[in-house]
Amino acid sequence: MSKFIFTVSLAICVGFVHAQLNKIQFQEFTLENGLKVILHQDKTTPIVAVSVMYHVGSKNENPDKTGFAHFFEHLLFEGSENIGRGEYDKYIEKAGGTLNANTSMDRTYYFEILPSNQLELGLWLESERMLHAKVENVGIETQRQVVKEERRQRIDNQPYGSFLEQIMMRAYKVHPYKWPVIGSMAHLDAAVESDYKNFYADFYVPNNAIVSIAGDIDYDNAKMLVEKYFSTIPKSKKPIYRPSAVEPALGGEVRDTFYDNIQLPAVLMAYRIPAAGTPEYYAVSMLGTLLSQGESSRLQKALVDEQQKAVAVGNFPLDLEDPGVSIAYGICSMGTDVLDAERSITAEIDRIKTETISDEEFQKLKNQVENDFVSSNSKVSGIAESLANYKMYYGDANLINTELNRYLAVTKDDIKNAAIKYYNNNNRVVLHYLPKPVNP
Amino acid sequence: MKQLIIALSVIFIFSQCAKKTTELVSKASNVDQTWRKMAPSPAAARDISLGDYASFDLANGLKVIVVENHKLPRVSYQLSLNNEALIEGDKAGYTSFAGDLLSKGTKNRTKAQIDEAIDYVGASLSTSSSGVFGSALKKHSDKLLDIMTDVLYNPTFPQDEFEKIRKRTASGLASSKTNPEAIATNIRSIVNFGANHPYGEVQTEETIKNITLDDCRNFYNTYFKPNNAYLVIVGDITPAEARMQAEKYFSKWEKGKVPSFSYATPEGTKGTQVRFGNKDGAVQSVINISYPIDMKPGSEDAIKANLMNSILGGGIFSGRLMQNLREKKAYTYGARSNISTDKLMGNFNAFASVRNEVTDSSITEFIYELKRIVNEPVSDADLSLAKSSMSGNFGRSLESPQTIANFALNTFKYNLPKDYYNNYLKNVDAVSVADVQAMAKRYIRPDNCNIVVVGNKDNVADKLKKFDSDGVIDFYDPFGKKIEDKKIELSADITADGIIKDYISAIGGEAKLKAVKSIYSSMKASRMGQDVTLETFQVAPNKYAMKMNMMGMTVQEQKYDGTKGLQAQMGNKKVITDGKELEDLKKSAIMFEQMNYASLGYKLEVKGIENVDGTNCYKVLATSPAGDLITEFYDVKTGYLIRSVKAEEKMTMTTDYKDYKSVNGIMFPFSSAISGVAPTTLVLEATAIEIDKIVADDVFKIE
Repeated sequence: MSKFIFTVSLAICVGFVHAQLNKIQFQEFTLENGLKVILHQDKTTPIVAVSVMYHVGSKNENPDKTGFAHFFEHLLFEGSENIGRGEYDKYIEKAGGTLNANTSMDRTYYFEILPSNQLELGLWLESERMLHAKVENVGIETQRQVVKEERRQRIDNQPYGSFLEQIMMRAYKVHPYKWPVIGSMAHLDAAVESDYKNFYADFYVPNNAIVSIAGDIDYDNAKMLVEKYFSTIPKSKKPIYRPSAVEPALGGEVRDTFYDNIQLPAVLMAYRIPAAGTPEYYAVSMLGTLLSQGESSRLQKALVDEQQKAVAVGNFPLDLEDPGVSIAYGICSMGTDVLDAERSITAEIDRIKTETISDEEFQKLKNQVENDFVSSNSKVSGIAESLANYKMYYGDANLINTELNRYLAVTKDDIKNAAIKYYNNNNRVVLHYLPKPVNP
Repeated sequence: MKQLIIALSVIFIFSQCAKKTTELVSKASNVDQTWRKMAPSPAAARDISLGDYASFDLANGLKVIVVENHKLPRVSYQLSLNNEALIEGDKAGYTSFAGDLLSKGTKNRTKAQIDEAIDYVGASLSTSSSGVFGSALKKHSDKLLDIMTDVLYNPTFPQDEFEKIRKRTASGLASSKTNPEAIATNIRSIVNFGANHPYGEVQTEETIKNITLDDCRNFYNTYFKPNNAYLVIVGDITPAEARMQAEKYFSKWEKGKVPSFSYATPEGTKGTQVRFGNKDGAVQSVINISYPIDMKPGSEDAIKANLMNSILGGGIFSGRLMQNLREKKAYTYGARSNISTDKLMGNFNAFASVRNEVTDSSITEFIYELKRIVNEPVSDADLSLAKSSMSGNFGRSLESPQTIANFALNTFKYNLPKDYYNNYLKNVDAVSVADVQAMAKRYIRPDNCNIVVVGNKDNVADKLKKFDSDGVIDFYDPFGKKIEDKKIELSADITADGIIKDYISAIGGEAKLKAVKSIYSSMKASRMGQDVTLETFQVAPNKYAMKMNMMGMTVQEQKYDGTKGLQAQMGNKKVITDGKELEDLKKSAIMFEQMNYASLGYKLEVKGIENVDGTNCYKVLATSPAGDLITEFYDVKTGYLIRSVKAEEKMTMTTDYKDYKSVNGIMFPFSSAISGVAPTTLVLEATAIEIDKIVADDVFKIE
């Protein structure tokens, strides 16, 4: 099920929209308690997306209490002063809506999509969650077990399912990105009441959140309702904990092997890259497109089509708030040695460092980027989330209209230089996934 | 002995956890917040209106559907074949190879040129056995259509690309052997639909070896015809523009005759059948409870059955399966069910991934919920929530113009009434509690289903026997091929009567058994950490008594005095004078059931030789005149009965007999393990068995 997805991993979709076409109009304001609010009106369909993004992810956790951000996402569906256990879902589904939430390393996101006449219901539920959530012991015990099942289903029992945590624990030594979003089951088992209270008081406060609403709304009415439900929620008086750890350079290639219940070996190469939103990040992102978007992309054409060494290849940067990684991978075709596949991927990357991209290929890249942003923002739920993302990470919701320019400002040389600077062997973790021996 | 065990399961000691609440906050606020107590009421609802579509036919029979939507400057073109499903037999996979090959080279372009051209404009193009899909920014739509029709008209089916697909598919199949969901899907297809149905076919490493290029060419030449297709155009385009493009690009496509097929309806599943796929090292079991159903798209039942399924385990979080298996039991991250309509044959599937230790408990809960929705009417509140949710879902889906296009396509494909989707919400609203129960009775079959489990065989499989009507789990490879036990051929001279005769002589012989006047037994079991003792008395010809003690108290009693019976439980007594209960008690008085099979009118049938926990057994099916099924397994070597599986309406009880010992020259099993009636297996150990002991008449007296 998709309820409470905890990881950003492969599904990150960069939301950007064409500067000239169909500009996304929105209004934004901040309440006295620090809560930021963004409203976008689109009356095409009588639905509304109501969302709250909290600026807390696994990186805000105490190293001895990992998994709390995600665990909280489960717990905060349990109830509040005025909402009984298990009623969150019922209220929304009874109103003909749907709801979900997910947690990443950087933030936790809750949303409902409702018939537009139920806007107030969504705001009531979200404000209850922010003001005075409540969990029963039985809820904590149940969700603890559910999270363990989630881990088994999505990580332990899936071929290659553990790749992200296996990479991150090797790519980071001091920064909290080194532990997985789902966290340590032992930490969750050891949690006590004061841990929950503290985490809630520290992070679930209006001055750490963005309410983003998109759909069939009336601006004045929506504003009035947001004020009604959220303005009396007290802000926190202490500063919100943001990790200050700066991860030092990797200082040489990290190379390891992981044995999994799989049939086909795979190679994963994680290169340390700058934080999302920086000019160099956009160059790295275009580099990823060059390498793996579309059948004619470099890795796809070389590894899958011509050499037939892999059944799947790709390269995607994690767009993280702090400096992250870009992961290139290949799942070997039958009979291909994992080292052979690795060498071929590295060869394609090295080619970018030495050869200049042709004008035609560079134009293709730009066209792909343009197509992607035009295709995004087709739904109000996506728009609500993109607006909140831009506001939270970059302080500028209008990037939903202008971020494209940042991509288009990237030159051929920028891509080449990004490859030289970041995609080098001393800056990468190489992980081979190999089939577990039958009798270990 | 069987009946009294059923009663044992009743004795459960429930312990309740103390309820403790953590208020996450003590945000003291002096603001009056009492207005927060109640959920706000909704504002006036806006009407939901379905968008329009246009449709027209080209002279060659191609039907075109157009949905105009200018929100984003892009257009998509979906060319969808209206194919009947095909049986591909030992070449399973060839139609998908053919579809894949279309974009791998044409008379005008190599594969690389096609890929370059599509990527250059940021477009997408995909081909499959059921058609071609392309999408692009509007300004590139002619370029896209040029390539799209090139692959449609001029594919060259290059040999080297064909071999690449074969190699890639082989790798993919190898990879899927460790994917538990993929394994479950393969097994499910085969056991639901059977090998003689297109939906029962699975690609394997063998079948893809048999595919030839000619198979692919023939498929393309036969089925890619305009009179067998729909073209759906969605996006930033007017119907007039769409018509011009359709005429320009698709009118030269030549029509042709397309064969059609019909298939025998899959029979469905008889009894409950556990189908196990092993995944080494699995830490969870993927459970699929599934069977085929015959429900056509747009049929009168479709909306009602969908609502019923929504309450049971459809998309909503409030579904019963999710609430029970996740929110109450915490066995899983998610449990759901699907019910699908299909032109040929749909299916039902209830599914979850659960940790190894609770695999059997989870199946018990699944079956419980399936039975509950069949047997009990749903509440008005449940129904109304499901209706709201379904209507809301419908409303939300209208945000995407593709939804309107799909509605139009379905209307044509399945011959739905023109106003089917316009009336959809009205029809959802009209469904009653009685309709829901009628649908559950028609489509939910807890007693006739495949229980497909993919997981760790060594840890999990054994505990699942109790769910199987014949007590034997069938094992499958990752591609759904049944793994046959080393089959021992049954020689022609083996008959059911002969097996029973051998059993009777193995345990002492007819003369000795007939001479027995009474049997007394005392057994011991452990239940919830408590010792339970059980005494039974049988006196020829027809008296029976049973007494169960726990913690020094008699918790249950059963008696039959030759004419009437008694059931007592925790002090509640009930005299039984007729009905099935009396019949069951009467049967308990029979000392050696098998000796009386003939006189009781049982029909016997040998079902072959099967392996039961490492012992080869004759499998004998005994059907009572009332239709009860008993499957018995007799050790080929010793002749002893070692397993008996009794399928009743409500449950399947499996009893394993072990430790045969002689009592006055008659062999009795001193250990019986009973599963299927309680959450855990109950093991009864005999402490004493006595023959011809004198039993006081008082024992059978019913007051």
